[in-house]
Amino acid sequence: MTVTVSPVFLFNVATGKEEPADLLDAITEKQLADWEAEWTPELFKAMQRLHRAGVERAQWPQSRHWDWRRKAAAFQGMLGTPGFSIMCGGVTQGMMLADTVTKRCRIGSQTGKNLVYVSFVENAPWNRKELFDPPRYRGIGSILMRAAIELSKEHDFKGRIGLHSLPQANGFYANTCGMTDLGPDANYQNLRYFEMTPEQAEAFLEKGGKA
Amino acid sequence: MKINIPKAWCLRMAQLEGDAEIGAGALAVDPVFEGETAHAEAPEETSLAFSRFVRLARRGRGLTVELLAERADVELAELLTIEEDSRYKPDLRTVYQLANYFGVQRANLLQIAGLTAPKDNHLVIESVRFAARSESVAALTAEERAALDAFVSVLSEQK
Repeated sequence: MTVTVSPVFLFNVATGKEEPADLLDAITEKQLADWEAEWTPELFKAMQRLHRAGVERAQWPQSRHWDWRRKAAAFQGMLGTPGFSIMCGGVTQGMMLADTVTKRCRIGSQTGKNLVYVSFVENAPWNRKELFDPPRYRGIGSILMRAAIELSKEHDFKGRIGLHSLPQANGFYANTCGMTDLGPDANYQNLRYFEMTPEQAEAFLEKGGKA
Repeated sequence: MKINIPKAWCLRMAQLEGDAEIGAGALAVDPVFEGETAHAEAPEETSLAFSRFVRLARRGRGLTVELLAERADVELAELLTIEEDSRYKPDLRTVYQLANYFGVQRANLLQIAGLTAPKDNHLVIESVRFAARSESVAALTAEERAALDAFVSVLSEQK
């Protein structure tokens, strides 16, 4: 598999400065190895800390069935699907998987049109404020969303994308990304479905300054 | 697919994004921590072997529990519990750290610690043998040393 690397920048919270990073147009074995060896132990450590501190976490629909082996197997099965990852400091900082084939637009004006469905987005645990305060890097979500938009354009889908947001990320997709909230999806564990029209995609790109 | 994203755009968006959560898709859902990690039930003999292995490997290196906790970067209280209670299901990260520190295959140690379903019968048999041969908790004898070395080589086997 040929992996193309595009230079990007993240904001390092500790130093208050930018840091060069790589945007890869793939999720490779390296990202899976980082998820297993770096992300998962840190995630458990953080959750153990919260648990001991008596912090109650929202009980998400299927989270009690969480199984890291099943997740690892799911990743392995998706190695061939389009994906993006961000590397910084030699470690994977964020990952995204996309589906360019099976999903269609739901939003009224776009119904039935092709889109890039983002089936998975995740930040490294140390970049999540609720787990590590302060987090290490900012900007990962925006770069991954931009990558999804560019992928959509590449397929001539004009920037149309869709995804099911986790409850704690609804604000990011509604406000920062400016996507349309189509409400809870009873067929997808009641996670809210968000969609971005070509106009919203352009508005998002312009939000960060003329690209 | 090359994507040209200007530095100024990345930094402006990082500022707008702030510390927002970005998780999407069911695969991104976090586990719920309830004092134990999600795990399969391990046979008692492999759990016993894990507990014994940690104790003997530590003693074989002449380390106190405190020193091992420090060097392997694991919680002292959990390490004590692992050594004292073979029924205890350790934290996933702790097993990772111990596998790294003792230089054995992570997958094998996860299996005998009960965090993955037993799939290697050879490892189960060797775990039972090790548990049976390593009963003494006094000074490390030549027999214990031999038992430990033999089990380390099994745990180090590449799949």
